[in-house]
Amino acid sequence: MNAIPQLFFDAMSLGGIYAMAALGIALIFGVMNLVNFAHGEYIAFCVFALIVPSTDAVAVLFLGKAPALLLIPILLALGAAIAVASEFVVFRHMRKATPVAMMISSFALGFVIQNSLLLIYGSRPKAISLWPDLNKPVSVIGASVPLLQIIVILATLVVVVALALLLKKTKIGLEMRAAAENFTMARLLGVRANVVITGAFALSGALAAAVAMIMVTQTGVADIRMGGQIMLVAFIATVIGGLGSLPGAVAAGFLIGAASVILQAFLPLDARPFRDAFLYTFVIVILLVRPQGLFAAHSAKPRV
Amino acid sequence: MKRFLTTTAMVMGLAPAAMADDGDIVIGFATAQSGWVQAYDAPATAAARIRIDEINAAGGLLGRQISWIESDTKSDQAQAASSGLQLIDEGADMLIVSCDYDFGAPAALAAESAGLNSFFLCAEDIKAGIQGVGPNSFSASVLAAVQGATMAEWSTAERDVQTGYVLLDTTIEYNKGICDGFEWMFPKAGGEIVGSDTFLNGDASIASQITRIKSLEEEPDAIMLCSYIPGAASAVRQIRAAGINSVILNGSAVDGSYWLDAAPDLSNFIVPVQGSIYGDDTRPAVNEFRDAFEAATGAGPSSTYVYPGYLLIDLWAKAVERAGTVEASAVTAELEKMTDEPTTFGPRSFSDEIHHQNSAEMQIIEITNGTPGVIGSWTISEPVPLDVLLQ
Repeated sequence: MNAIPQLFFDAMSLGGIYAMAALGIALIFGVMNLVNFAHGEYIAFCVFALIVPSTDAVAVLFLGKAPALLLIPILLALGAAIAVASEFVVFRHMRKATPVAMMISSFALGFVIQNSLLLIYGSRPKAISLWPDLNKPVSVIGASVPLLQIIVILATLVVVVALALLLKKTKIGLEMRAAAENFTMARLLGVRANVVITGAFALSGALAAAVAMIMVTQTGVADIRMGGQIMLVAFIATVIGGLGSLPGAVAAGFLIGAASVILQAFLPLDARPFRDAFLYTFVIVILLVRPQGLFAAHSAKPRV
Repeated sequence: MKRFLTTTAMVMGLAPAAMADDGDIVIGFATAQSGWVQAYDAPATAAARIRIDEINAAGGLLGRQISWIESDTKSDQAQAASSGLQLIDEGADMLIVSCDYDFGAPAALAAESAGLNSFFLCAEDIKAGIQGVGPNSFSASVLAAVQGATMAEWSTAERDVQTGYVLLDTTIEYNKGICDGFEWMFPKAGGEIVGSDTFLNGDASIASQITRIKSLEEEPDAIMLCSYIPGAASAVRQIRAAGINSVILNGSAVDGSYWLDAAPDLSNFIVPVQGSIYGDDTRPAVNEFRDAFEAATGAGPSSTYVYPGYLLIDLWAKAVERAGTVEASAVTAELEKMTDEPTTFGPRSFSDEIHHQNSAEMQIIEITNGTPGVIGSWTISEPVPLDVLLQ
């Protein structure tokens, strides 16, 4: 086995998951200055949508039974739907609220979603066997890599390129960028605020659904708390990437994933349990050196 | 005042299910009825109540009926402390607290400072007893280190395992206990530990841990996986998918078949438990209780952690009977006198040093092609010493 390519694939695939989750958070921050802490719960929601609602210990596949060609668009749409619905029910009424008030309400929304899942599905973790064959390893330049890892890396790249094209080449993309730059001015110039914001939420929710599918294929389990850890990492990635910067969120997502894998690979055994402590020390150092983040958006400074 | 408290409690939906008569012995359940710990507490609580009903039907304890009161800890440590205090105010004679040490300890400490006995539903960390709570606190389950040591000795003797790899999930203390027991016993039993690694239960991927195992010169005969569901299920799925076919040894926390879809067609996977939930235990009395539990609750036990609930009431009631009182120090003294006390789940012992089982007969469950079943039982050749437990 070749160590360097192996490390590269391990790092890129974990980074890809983080980057995709971070992108979902950065998108919404860009258009409305909201750090949406309910994002992790969107991920959990999409995972649980794969199984029949029941508090029984053994999970029965529901949406998860559908063939991939059908399942992927349905789940992406479902993720978009819950994100848009939460914008409609909660955040739309807080347009004039301070960012802090919106952040607190996103926490509240997260609790509501998590506890609803708890009520419907019970508290015991469930098993879901979605596409188990994707975990089979294939050999790539001397490394043994599960197919899923390659899919994650490719999917992240596709999503990033597609988003970049959307933002650069389409009208809604132009409006989103304008809104991210200066929301009030953009509205004065005729940008349709509701369309832009709804669009951003839909994209963000779809990204949550993509993360959900990757997570469930990789781990095979559904747990009501599963969104929390990834949300935390994704949020940190958006901060060190520079709040509001989409390329920054993606780069920082990859960076955190890579750092985590490298620490896991090279720390001595006694220090390995403290992997995350080292990881977050590294985050603090980055923020001390560049408090505005690695790729700060021009618009971010006066807002934060 | 007491009446006022009871009425208030009823209004708040915390009403005792059986109203306590003045003459009753009252057991307080400070356990999770909601939140994520509920999945572990509720089945063990149901089993405890089956034993209470049996004792009441047979004439009660010290000639008095046992009644119970409860308060929901909501899977929250701060709420656990106030639940404990509330039950003590309502007149509980002893407290039963959450399964896990971290979630049960606040209520157990409240009982300890009020001079009452407390029992953890199924804690397997030495701290859930004298060392962490105080002299009147007990757990009826089998210490995590015993599970790890059982895996070490059984696998070397029965499966000719010579090389072992230790994969520790550092999220909770219980996991560390399993690995400590394994690392203590495995070299003594003739095995060699060829590598170790750590992960976290919520890790999105354990790819780099798998890379480390795969870069060993030879695949280890066994992997000691010290974790719990969901992290353990996720780890097993990834280990098997990567083509690693070592025997996977575990603690009791992965017992139950509900998660097996996560690792399709799993084989060569071993779980030590204090009683089988599949109706194939080597001791008929355990199977009878399993059926009684299913009849009483409408569903069979989802994991072996149902059983300590029944056991703890059984042991506590015996001690109360012998002491002639529910007063904590007298009951503790009787419990500490128990050496190989016969129970449905095998002999149980307590001492003035350890309020846990540092040796016990464990059923060995093997999962083959996704189907679990008992393949034998094992008792470790020497009890796990205190210094290993306190590591």
